[in-house]
Amino acid sequence: MVILFRIDDRFIHAQVVVGWGRRLKPDRIVLADDLVNAEDWEKELYASAAGPDFKATVLSLAEAAGQIVGGVFDSEKIFLLVRGPAEALEILDMGLETTEINVGGLHFREGREKITENVWVDEGERGVLRDIVKKGITLEARALPGDERVTINSKVV
Amino acid sequence: MTDKDITGIIVTHGQLGEELLRTVGLIVGEVHDCYALSSSDLGDEKVVRSIHEILDRNNAKGTVVFVDYFGGSCGALCVRATRGIEGVKVISGVNLPILLDFVTKQGIMGLDEIVDHLIHRGRESVRVIEL
Repeated sequence: MVILFRIDDRFIHAQVVVGWGRRLKPDRIVLADDLVNAEDWEKELYASAAGPDFKATVLSLAEAAGQIVGGVFDSEKIFLLVRGPAEALEILDMGLETTEINVGGLHFREGREKITENVWVDEGERGVLRDIVKKGITLEARALPGDERVTINSKVV
Repeated sequence: MTDKDITGIIVTHGQLGEELLRTVGLIVGEVHDCYALSSSDLGDEKVVRSIHEILDRNNAKGTVVFVDYFGGSCGALCVRATRGIEGVKVISGVNLPILLDFVTKQGIMGLDEIVDHLIHRGRESVRVIEL
């Protein structure tokens, strides 16, 4: 069962493991990313970042969607992490159902405009977030669980 | 800078790196060939660019990149930024004893030697104080 579906371009890092992990206590962190999944050293880097308290699994987007929809993780509470809006939409289009996505970290880079302190998007990403909103999904932008809950649906449509 | 000293780059969350470096300066006086970058202030691409700029200028004898937390974004970023570059080592869990030792040994030890030494020093400095 996915208890947190998060867009975060830093993947598995301290905010996710310590910040969210301590609060929601998942059994496993699933990182779904085709680029990370293609490189052994990157898989090892992020799997080790989950630390001793949580299991971590790195999968391709298709594997993650297939396994979650197929019930492989039904007996576990999982965090599902993807790097950006396009990857989130891809997973949704492969059948994963959710009512909410945590847009927790899209950090500043050239060409991105600010939506909140921790969420910056370019025009393409804004368009993809708009497509996600059209599916009836709430986009909320907390970096950490104790932050004020900010919904950004109106800022991407 | 001098050609014989190892360069240090401290990459941390928040202002931790700047404050560690400032504190080292308060204790030992002037510090050279050691830089602090904040991943909170700069954004990932800027951090990577800054690391590369420092390496281009200073990598004659070797560089140690210090990050604050194993498993944090700074560590992943620094591994990504320096992977495949000769003469660079990334160390996690930076603390004041490690940095104090770094600035006193950066001119007299080689890269592998100083890295082994600093990790030993860092671990040794975490202990129960009993008298």
